Amino acid sequence: MGTRASLEIEGLVKRYSSDVQIGPVSFRVEEGEFFSLLGTSGCGKTTILRCIAGFETPDEGRIILNGERLDTKAPHKRGVGLVFQNLTLFPHLTAAQNIGFGLALRKVPAAEVGRRVEAMLELVGLRGLGARMPNQLSGGQQQRVALARSLVLEPPLMLMDEPLSSLDLKLRLQMREELRQLQRRLHKTTIFVTHDQGEALALSDRIAVLSVGRIEQIGAPAEVYAAPVSCFVADFIGSSNLLASEIVARRGEEVEIVTAAGLRLSARWRANGDARAVTALIRPDAVRLLPEGPDGAQVPNSFAARVVDVTFLGEDIQLRVTVEEKETLLICQKSAGLPKALSPSQSLRIHVEPSDIFLLSR
Amino acid sequence: MSSQVIYSSSPAERRAAGRAQVAPWVWLAGPYALVLFLFLAIPLCNLVVLSLFRYSATSIWTPELTASNYARILDGFYIALTLRSLWIGAITTALCVVLGYPLAYFLARCSPRALSLGLFLLVLPLMVSTVIRAFGWIILLGREGAINSLLRALGIGEPLGMLYSEGSVIVALVQYVLPLMVLPLMAAIERIPLSLEEAAVNLGSSAATVFRRLIFPLSLPGLVSGILLSFTVSISVVVTPALLGGRKVRMFGNEIYDQVVTANNWPFASSLAVMMILLTFLAIALGLAAGARAGRRR
Repeated sequence: MGTRASLEIEGLVKRYSSDVQIGPVSFRVEEGEFFSLLGTSGCGKTTILRCIAGFETPDEGRIILNGERLDTKAPHKRGVGLVFQNLTLFPHLTAAQNIGFGLALRKVPAAEVGRRVEAMLELVGLRGLGARMPNQLSGGQQQRVALARSLVLEPPLMLMDEPLSSLDLKLRLQMREELRQLQRRLHKTTIFVTHDQGEALALSDRIAVLSVGRIEQIGAPAEVYAAPVSCFVADFIGSSNLLASEIVARRGEEVEIVTAAGLRLSARWRANGDARAVTALIRPDAVRLLPEGPDGAQVPNSFAARVVDVTFLGEDIQLRVTVEEKETLLICQKSAGLPKALSPSQSLRIHVEPSDIFLLSR
Repeated sequence: MSSQVIYSSSPAERRAAGRAQVAPWVWLAGPYALVLFLFLAIPLCNLVVLSLFRYSATSIWTPELTASNYARILDGFYIALTLRSLWIGAITTALCVVLGYPLAYFLARCSPRALSLGLFLLVLPLMVSTVIRAFGWIILLGREGAINSLLRALGIGEPLGMLYSEGSVIVALVQYVLPLMVLPLMAAIERIPLSLEEAAVNLGSSAATVFRRLIFPLSLPGLVSGILLSFTVSISVVVTPALLGGRKVRMFGNEIYDQVVTANNWPFASSLAVMMILLTFLAIALGLAAGARAGRRR
């Protein structure tokens, strides 16, 4: 078996009871691709991963690795690397012994085990720490050893089940960056399970967004963010304002919509078909603040607004405003660019480019 | 204000308030320590003293020191008795390890409902008196017992002489001490996260390898406790060999009992008891040393 492979999942179904079911799920992960399964807890992402690793048996469907059936093999013969969510180093073995565990099982000569273990320690940035016991390593170091323990076997496919979620925020961001660097160097075919959209967006070549038991959308991070296919995806990736609306006028691509609360907006209609009921998606960072004055009123989609709530987030400031006393919108602005301090009940003028309003048919 | 409330309940503050100072261990472990001292330590000292007295047919307390009681243990009969007791204890313990490990693993990994039923069934034999349990085995294993009747009904040869043998004593002992092996082992296995096993399988371990490389080393402390409990209990039983061992399979406890009740030789009985206590201590020390060495390696 090579050290890289493509994986194909065909119609995978796992039933827990008559009304709880994961799938059918089908997707293909290309050679060397970093593929994320993104969803909330209970959406089935971990189940799919455990089916690939062999710790769950799917009720239907096939898993094919490099053209060979994987799902019929015993879990210990699949040769697929797995990094767990919690820290799973063997507590009675040193870091080096943990990394060498799989090699020793494969009857690799001791000298070669030593050499490959050292190379792995070097790769994950733990040179000289091979003699440490797991309880003498930090959480981040332990997770690196766990990664090395799988990588040393040169698996054709790596599976990662929220490997960063047991780490605290700062370490998580640092490890995320290290994973990215590692992936750039190794180009390992990887399936990465996470509930953290930031992680998925930062690391992945492609993301599969899962809702309850099924895939909503598969696409590159930018595509999933900019062109969500459903309200679920729009709501899940990034924060967004979702306004139930109706199309009242149309001239080619340009449409006029009225939201349920009665706000009239200009937007672009990119899709085919002539649906009337739509959901308007406005990203919080797409809303601009305008200087107040008569000239602002001439710009399309510009409205008088009143601040309801201000949340200071450091780099960003998040505002909740009511627009023309009708709709409530979430706005996100770089705090550095703001002219003056904002406070509740303050009046503003806001503006949304028609092309920044994304319409989804309902 | 709130921080002051917290401080006022600290030991330092209480000391300042002039309340009586008693270290926690005194009232936590003290009552039982007192009971142990009065009803175990003092009688044990008495036993040691008694074991050094000369036997007299007319009185128990003859303050005349001698080592002859201990010299008598070196007689071939008592050496054989000692070896037999240790042998039966060792075989019983070994069988408990073999039978107990799978059971302990099952109980540690089963559903909570299966666990409560399993634990109940496991300790059920302990709820029956030793004598009644022994009679049960007599009914099963006897010359005219259930097993032989079944064999006869099936037309299979001569009745088997199963009772009053080392085998019958060991079988009954295994049933008796198995929970003492399973409970500490189970507790140790329960503490091994299932994800560690999955990690080992993912790296290519078969079930046997998972046991050898993971479950066994990580449950070793529980195994050591189980072995110590099973061994010390099974070398010191009295009723089971008395009822199921007949004249042939006598153990340490039977001899002590006979020396006290039948021969009325309390000094010799005491020296036998002291010997047994020393052997038990030796076994515990060896077990703990082995456990500590395994622990250091970890």
